[in-house]
Amino acid sequence: MNPVLQLDSIVKRFGSRTILDTVSMTVNAGEIVCFVGPSGTGKSTLLRCVNGLEQIQGGQISFEGTAVLPRSIGAVRKRVGMIFQHFNLYPHLTALQNVMLAPMVVHKEAKKTVEERARALFEKVRLSHRINAYPSQLSGGEQQRVAIARALCAQPHLLMFDEPTSALDPETVGDVLGVMRDLAKEGRTMLVVTHEIRFAADVGTRMVFMDQGKIVEDGDPRAMIAAPKTERARQFLSSIHG
Amino acid sequence: MTVDWLAYAPLILRAAGITLWLSWLGMLVGAVGGTGIALLRLSRWRILRLLALVYTEFWRSVPILIVMFFCYFGVPLVLGIDISPFTAATVALALHASSTMSEVVRAGIQSVGRGQWEAAQAAGLTPIQTMRYVIAPQAIRVVLPPSVGVFITTLKESSLASIIGYIELTKTGLLIRDSTDGGFIPLLALAVIYFLINYAISLGGGALERRFHIGRRLDTVGAMA
Repeated sequence: MNPVLQLDSIVKRFGSRTILDTVSMTVNAGEIVCFVGPSGTGKSTLLRCVNGLEQIQGGQISFEGTAVLPRSIGAVRKRVGMIFQHFNLYPHLTALQNVMLAPMVVHKEAKKTVEERARALFEKVRLSHRINAYPSQLSGGEQQRVAIARALCAQPHLLMFDEPTSALDPETVGDVLGVMRDLAKEGRTMLVVTHEIRFAADVGTRMVFMDQGKIVEDGDPRAMIAAPKTERARQFLSSIHG
Repeated sequence: MTVDWLAYAPLILRAAGITLWLSWLGMLVGAVGGTGIALLRLSRWRILRLLALVYTEFWRSVPILIVMFFCYFGVPLVLGIDISPFTAATVALALHASSTMSEVVRAGIQSVGRGQWEAAQAAGLTPIQTMRYVIAPQAIRVVLPPSVGVFITTLKESSLASIIGYIELTKTGLLIRDSTDGGFIPLLALAVIYFLINYAISLGGGALERRFHIGRRLDTVGAMA
């Protein structure tokens, strides 16, 4: 086993509220970990602690053997891609420019190299025809696929998806999930916060059920969906199954 | 007695140029200084935020004329260095413009959603790179329209420099009025010239806005998140 990410008893508080309560877990290369659970249980916060968008108050995170600290965060962010619920594309740049910005500015790569890779990525997310569109001219599903291409163009070792389909129209969810399935097949390491249980079952190699800042259950997605070990997970999974 | 008003045209034009130069300088220094103050206002250190707030509140509350008087009469008395009317006027205009511009720039930066900062930082951009490539290009759309207004205000306020004896457009007009029959024609001419200059600035601002595509709908979801 080749650990990419290790969380060791991490604690995250907002004021007096504890969001993550001594959470520990190890993610190995190639794992596709789907985080599920009720809203406000710290799933998104957990991702945001990994790339330093939130500071932790206790415990330690290490990414590829390096402790994630304020002074090492730049190096970590270079190797971790993040996809947000609301896409957060840069509205003043075209789709292509959005994808090329970080590799050029952060990774200092030559424009030509980056552009070649970016064009290939647009093909991969099936948006080659929208390469020069501005985000405002794209649908939600298209924007999210550009955001995925943007994360991929920096050649990350870990991809984090924070509710990537929650802000989408139902008919565009499938396109985004389709791209994510393709990425999973490439053997990428992915952390996915999602309410798409079917996606978790089909694509996830591991499912983590969180509640009230703690990991309640952690295991094989299909096994967990079929027979949750805890009452809390059983209730939640049956509620979202409908 | 008839006056050959046209004979004064070169004088007036030159004076208009001086007024434009004085105001432009005041505005430029004010915009640069105001941007600095805006960044302090958004600093994570409370003491810097407080200092910037005091600066803004102070300079926008004190009349420009008083600042000009202070620079022109007060500084030589206290520090023993001579200040030219031009310097005094420029400093006073710049201080005032910077206090207004700091609020304009702050509003511009704050108009860019938190999601933009997060996307840029998550991608590894440093705070300075984030400002340069992501925040500033979006903030400029919000900053530009009111900045044109600040420039016009600065230009009008530059007429106060006439009171400390700086011979800009207003002072020139008043001198012409004194040396002719004291009629209202020079005053009318001043009003028209100020209007023309400011209207030209307005048009120029409009052209700049179109260049930056201000008014074009931004990606609302991405910009708000």
